[in-house]
Amino acid sequence: MIEDLFDLEQVTSQKSVIHSLDARVKIIVCCAAIVALVAVPYSPVVYIVSTVFFLLFLLLWALSKISPVIYFRRLLLALPFGFMLCGFQIFFKNRYYTDYHSLLELPLGIHIYYESVEFASILLVKFLVCYSFIVLLSSTSSLQDLLEAAGRLKVPPELILALGMMIRYLFVFGIIYRKVTDALKTRLFDPFDHRLPYRYRIVNMGYMMGSLFIRSLEQGERTYASMLCRGYGRDSYIFIKEKPLLRSDLMFLGLCLILIIMVSLLCWYDPFSLICRFEVLPSYQG
Amino acid sequence: MHIIETQDLCHTYKGNIDALKNISFIAPRNTRIAIIGPNGAGKSTLFKHFNGVLRPTSGKVLIRGEPITKENIREVRRTVGLVFQNPDDQIFSPTVEQDVAFGPINMGLDEEAVKHRVSEALRTVGLSEYRTRVPHHLSGGEKKRVAIAGIIAMEPQVLVLDEPTAGLDPQGVREIIRVIRDFSVRYGMTVIFSTHNISLVAELAEYIYVMNNGSFVAKGTVAEIFSQPDLLSSVRLDLPILPKLISSLRSQGIAIDMGYTYQEAETAFLKAFGKIA
Repeated sequence: MIEDLFDLEQVTSQKSVIHSLDARVKIIVCCAAIVALVAVPYSPVVYIVSTVFFLLFLLLWALSKISPVIYFRRLLLALPFGFMLCGFQIFFKNRYYTDYHSLLELPLGIHIYYESVEFASILLVKFLVCYSFIVLLSSTSSLQDLLEAAGRLKVPPELILALGMMIRYLFVFGIIYRKVTDALKTRLFDPFDHRLPYRYRIVNMGYMMGSLFIRSLEQGERTYASMLCRGYGRDSYIFIKEKPLLRSDLMFLGLCLILIIMVSLLCWYDPFSLICRFEVLPSYQG
Repeated sequence: MHIIETQDLCHTYKGNIDALKNISFIAPRNTRIAIIGPNGAGKSTLFKHFNGVLRPTSGKVLIRGEPITKENIREVRRTVGLVFQNPDDQIFSPTVEQDVAFGPINMGLDEEAVKHRVSEALRTVGLSEYRTRVPHHLSGGEKKRVAIAGIIAMEPQVLVLDEPTAGLDPQGVREIIRVIRDFSVRYGMTVIFSTHNISLVAELAEYIYVMNNGSFVAKGTVAEIFSQPDLLSSVRLDLPILPKLISSLRSQGIAIDMGYTYQEAETAFLKAFGKIA
């Protein structure tokens, strides 16, 4: 899992049209897609919106030239959470439906309802498409670029500083973890080695985590002291220089936003009913 | 059959970073070998191959003539002990004694054997009194010696030390030199070490490999390597201070023998001043 941290950087450093876009544009497009999809009411219309959004995602992924294997690997990581989140829904009624029809009756009075299954599938589709956009964002922008972009999008500097330090030390932690595990290997320790007593393995894994904790604490103290030496205080912030958006960035942003907004609006409101409503309103007032 | 041998060893890290390029290296039994080179030359990567922590991208690593496989990896790690540059990467147990016992227990030794090995290892590095001490309260030099004790308790035939004197005070350096020399002279171990402390190389090494950008650029005895100051400066290294001074005096016409270690230089100066024959 920690090794994936280093793979993340490798994927984000590739060259493609999508990689070269400003991270602000990618953040806005990703957020817009998520907000638009989440805002679509729970009804079968979600399937149409999700299909269009997923096609947009596929197009952007193809343009990024990243192997589909990476997408599937990252999707696999999140699927258990997604399935757990949606799987339980089939057993419960929810506030989006008034009438429920039992599909299956289980012992202890548990029912699986048709409406709950539909709700769970809608939830899963929303989850998968939203997560796909997050994967696209995190696979085409480095953490540092995302941080700077967030700063330029006026996210509070206190949050940016904290996030910046977290990103930096996530990698420091990854490197230390790698060294510690290498050192354990050289002394023939393998937590899955059944020749060693179970308790001994658990105790030593505990010691290892404890030592990582102590080292993190010490590193934190050293870093904080060095920050104070360089004038760190309440008003400190990470320096992020101004960067204007290029015309290509603006064009991409415009096209994506138009598509996202139009698709969700068209699917959300039936265009014919919208026209009818406008026609009806004046006569109603009169 | 050499105890360690690499044949055209190459290692490429993720992101196509070539860390080792066609490395052919030989470590005979009971020798002290220094691998010197600038930061990023590939020394630590090479050391991890000796212990099977890394697998070659191409080429071979032979330990006692056998390539490293999944089946013999435990045996390889018993044969070749690797001491990491930063002892904090290695030491994690609550007490010195427990940390030194970690390797022997993993080898499946019984309690008596483990106790014996721990006592011997701590005695060898001069830390018998520190058995119950908490490692993170020790000084840098003491931690380094605990890390070494943790490896020699496994009784390897080869001891590989990555920058053994990095960050140590002069007293700490002297203690490490004594310990390393003991391993070779008293216990007949092969010692391979990397360092930026060139004086240490002159004091300890019998053979030197010079590394730069993932390749060996020279190899030879101490005299052969230190007689090429241009080679050393091309890899961001320098001659030790004593041979440098003697070279300078010789270039100004003073008849003095070359000496690389402190003892050799002292003898050369005494001879030059007519104090000894």
